[in-house]
Amino acid sequence: MRLIIRDDTEAASFYVASYIVERIKHFDPAPAHPFVLGLPTGSSPLGVYRILVEKYKAGEISFENVVTFNMDEYIGIPRDHPQSYHTFMWQHFFSHVNIHPRNVHILDGNAPNLEAECVEYEAKIKSSGGIDLFLAGIGEDGHIAFNEPGSSLASRTRVKTLAYDTVLANSRFFNDDLDQVPKMALTVGVQTVLEAREVVVIVHGARKSLALQRCIEQGVNHMWTLSSLQLHPHPMIVCDEDATLELQVKTVKYFKSIEQVARAQGFEQILPSKIRTGPSKPALPAQTILVNGERDRHVDAAESESPTILAPQPTTSRLLSVATPASECPIRSRSVSPDIELVPDRMASRIADSSVFRGRLTPGPEVQANGLARVNAVGA
Amino acid sequence: MGITTPTHDGIAKLTNCRLLRGNELVWGDVWVSSTTGKILRSQATFYDDLIMPDNTIDLKGRIVSPGFIECQLNGAFGFNFSTVLEDMSEYRKRVSDLNKRLVQTGVTSYIPTVTSQTSDLYKKVLPFLGTSGQRRAAEDGAESLGAHVEGPFLNPGKNGVHNVGVLRQAESFKDLEDMYGTSNINPDAADDSIPIKMITAAPELGHMMELIPELRSRGIVCSVGHSEATYEEASVAVAAGATMITHLFNAMRPLHHRNPGVFGVLGIAERLPRPFFGVIADGIHLHPTTVKIAWNAHPDGFILVTDAMHMAGLPDGTYPWTNGEAQQFITKKGAVLLLEGSETIAGSSSILIDCVNNFLQWSGATIPQALKAVTSTPAAMLDLKGVKGSLEAGADADLVVLSDSCTEDGLAGLVVEEVWKFGTKVFDNCTA
Repeated sequence: MRLIIRDDTEAASFYVASYIVERIKHFDPAPAHPFVLGLPTGSSPLGVYRILVEKYKAGEISFENVVTFNMDEYIGIPRDHPQSYHTFMWQHFFSHVNIHPRNVHILDGNAPNLEAECVEYEAKIKSSGGIDLFLAGIGEDGHIAFNEPGSSLASRTRVKTLAYDTVLANSRFFNDDLDQVPKMALTVGVQTVLEAREVVVIVHGARKSLALQRCIEQGVNHMWTLSSLQLHPHPMIVCDEDATLELQVKTVKYFKSIEQVARAQGFEQILPSKIRTGPSKPALPAQTILVNGERDRHVDAAESESPTILAPQPTTSRLLSVATPASECPIRSRSVSPDIELVPDRMASRIADSSVFRGRLTPGPEVQANGLARVNAVGA
Repeated sequence: MGITTPTHDGIAKLTNCRLLRGNELVWGDVWVSSTTGKILRSQATFYDDLIMPDNTIDLKGRIVSPGFIECQLNGAFGFNFSTVLEDMSEYRKRVSDLNKRLVQTGVTSYIPTVTSQTSDLYKKVLPFLGTSGQRRAAEDGAESLGAHVEGPFLNPGKNGVHNVGVLRQAESFKDLEDMYGTSNINPDAADDSIPIKMITAAPELGHMMELIPELRSRGIVCSVGHSEATYEEASVAVAAGATMITHLFNAMRPLHHRNPGVFGVLGIAERLPRPFFGVIADGIHLHPTTVKIAWNAHPDGFILVTDAMHMAGLPDGTYPWTNGEAQQFITKKGAVLLLEGSETIAGSSSILIDCVNNFLQWSGATIPQALKAVTSTPAAMLDLKGVKGSLEAGADADLVVLSDSCTEDGLAGLVVEEVWKFGTKVFDNCTA
C-alpha cells in the first residue's frame, strides 16, 4: 500500500492527475496497445478530471489511445439526465478531451437485461486486456464504486441496491425528493476493481477520514469495502491532510517518511516495468533493478498471507507470486540511473545480529512460498 | 480494441468560448453540424452516434451568440426591397447578393421590409421575399424568414416618409388579398408557407381590428405602427392579437400623461399580454434615455431594429427612392438619412451591431441583455422560439462570434468576428 499525503485537496488531485499522465505516457499507448483506465464519478475525482483536462489542453497528454471503463451508473434514470453518470463524465471529462466514444464504456442502467449488461461489461474489460489503472474515490462509509457496506469482496459487476444512507445523501441532487432518487445501480464489483493492475484512490476531506482509517489501519472488512485494497499488489491512496484526521500520527509519519526516503534516494515509488508498459510489451531486464526492498516485502507479506484472494486469482497477483518464473519477478525499473547497484533486502537483514529474533521475524521468501502452498492446499 | 478513425459528419465543436444562455454568458462548448444545419445535442452525439467533431475551434474566450435577427430592414448595400426592376430575375439576383453581404454583419436571418407601395409592386416583389424554406444553404448568406409589409394600411397622419397617396384602409380580408396578392397572404398548398410574415398596420382605421385574428390564424404577425391609436385602441388591438409594435415612439402619438397612446400597452397594470416592440437605437430616431425607458418598461419585448434603408453601406450622397407612386430622393450624411430638402427622417443607415453597441453604451444593460434583443426576443416574436435565436440543441446553427474588447472607459463595443450559418462558417473577420 502506498499512501501519499498532500497538504490540500488541490495538491492531492494534482498528484493523482500527474501520476495518471505519467503512467499513460510511459505506457506509450497505441491503437493495438491501448491504456485501459477505470474511472469513478462523484465529488472526489472532480479536481483530478479538471487537471487532466488542463493537461490535455496544454498538450501534455493525449487520450487518443486510452480506453475507459466507468465504475457505475444508476438504474432507471434517463442516460442524459443531469444526474446520470453518463452526464457527469461528459460534462467533466469526455467533452473536453480527445477520447473517442468507441473507447468509452459506461454501464447502461436502462439496458433491457441488466444481468446480461453486467456479464457483458466484465467480458469487455477482459477483452480489452484488463484495466491498467483503476482510479477510485470512496464514500463516507468506505464504499468503493457502489459496493456498499456488506458487499462481497469477491463481487463482480452486478445490480446493487443502494444503502439508505447513500439514497439520502444523493437526494440533494434530486430536489430533495427521495422518490426521484434511484434506489439501484449497476456497479463493478470489488473483485473487478482488485483485478486492475493498479488501483489509485483519491480521498479528501475530514468527512472521509473515518473511512480512510478503517481501510488503512484496520483489517479487511466487507463493511468498509475499500479495505479490500489491502489485498491488492499495487494500491495507492492519495489524500489530503484533512482525510488523515482519524489516522494515528504514527501511520501518517510512516507513510510520509517512506515517500521522503524514496525521494532522497533518487527513486520514485514506481511499479514493476511489466505493469508500467502493459502486458504486451516485454520488460527491459538490463535496465531493471530492485529498489526499496523494504516496502516490497511489506506488500508481498500482506499478499501472501491473505487467504481471501485465492479464487479467482487476479492476473496481477501472479506477477508477484513466488511461484512464477524468475523473469516475471517483481522487478522495478528505476526512474533515474544512479551508478550504484541496489540489491533486495529485508528487515531482518538490517539487524546486526538477527539470530536473536529469528523466531519472530517475517519469514524469508522460501518459507513464505511453502506457507502459501499449504494455504492453497487447504483452500482447495 | 475498437479504436477507429473519427468519421466525417461535418461536425464542428466551438470551444473555449462564452455562450449566450438566458441572461448569462456561460463557458461551454457548442457542437454544430453542417449536414443538418443545426446545433447538436453533443452528449447524445457522443454516446449514441459515437462521433467526434471533425473540427475543434478554439475561440479564445470570445462570445458565441445566436445569429442576429433583423425585423426592420428596407434594403441595404444599394438595393431597396421596394423596387420593381424591368427584369425581375435581376431582382432575385440583387436579393441574393444582399443576403451574402448582410450575413457578414452578423444578421443571419431577417424579415425584408417593404414600405407603403402600390398593389402592383407588392405583387411583383413579395414572391421573391418569402422564406427560403427547405433550401437551408449556408452559402446563400442571410435568410429571409418571410416579408414584412409596412403598409399601406397606415394612418395618413403618421405616414413618416411613406407616400400618403398610396395609403389605404382595409374593410375586409379581401382588401388585403387584393392589395398584396392572394397567393402572398394565404398558405401555399404545396408547402404551407406564406411570403408575408408580418404586417404593420394602423388598427384604428377601417376594419383592421377585426382582421387581426384572421391574420394571426395564418401565422402572420400583426404589428401596430404608423398609427394614431389611443391607448384604448391600442389595447383593443393587442387583445385582438397584435403582438408587435413597429418602431416604438416613431410614427405614433407621443406618450402623454393623460393618454399614454400605443406606448401605454407596455404598462404592466393591464391584464393583457404585453406585445413585443421594435426600437431603433441608431442615435437619431430616439434619444438614448427614451430607448432605456422603453427597455425598462418591458425588457422581454424589447427588439432592436435598424430600419435601415438601401443606403446602408453606401457612401454619403443623394440617392433615388421609389416611394409609392412618386420618385423621391434621400440625402445620406453619415448615419443620417433625410428626405431631400427636408428635416424628415427617412429611416437609418446603421447596421444591427451598431444598434446593439449603442444600446449597451446607453442603458447599462449587460451583454446578454443586449444580445437577447436581437436574438431570442425577435425569434419569439416571429414564433420561432427554439428554432432561431437560440443556442439550445435542435436550433438552427446560425451563430455570431463576438469579441468584447474593453478600454479604460469600459466596454469598447462588440465586434463581429465570425458568422456561422447552418453550421458552416461564412464570415471571418481575420480573413475578410
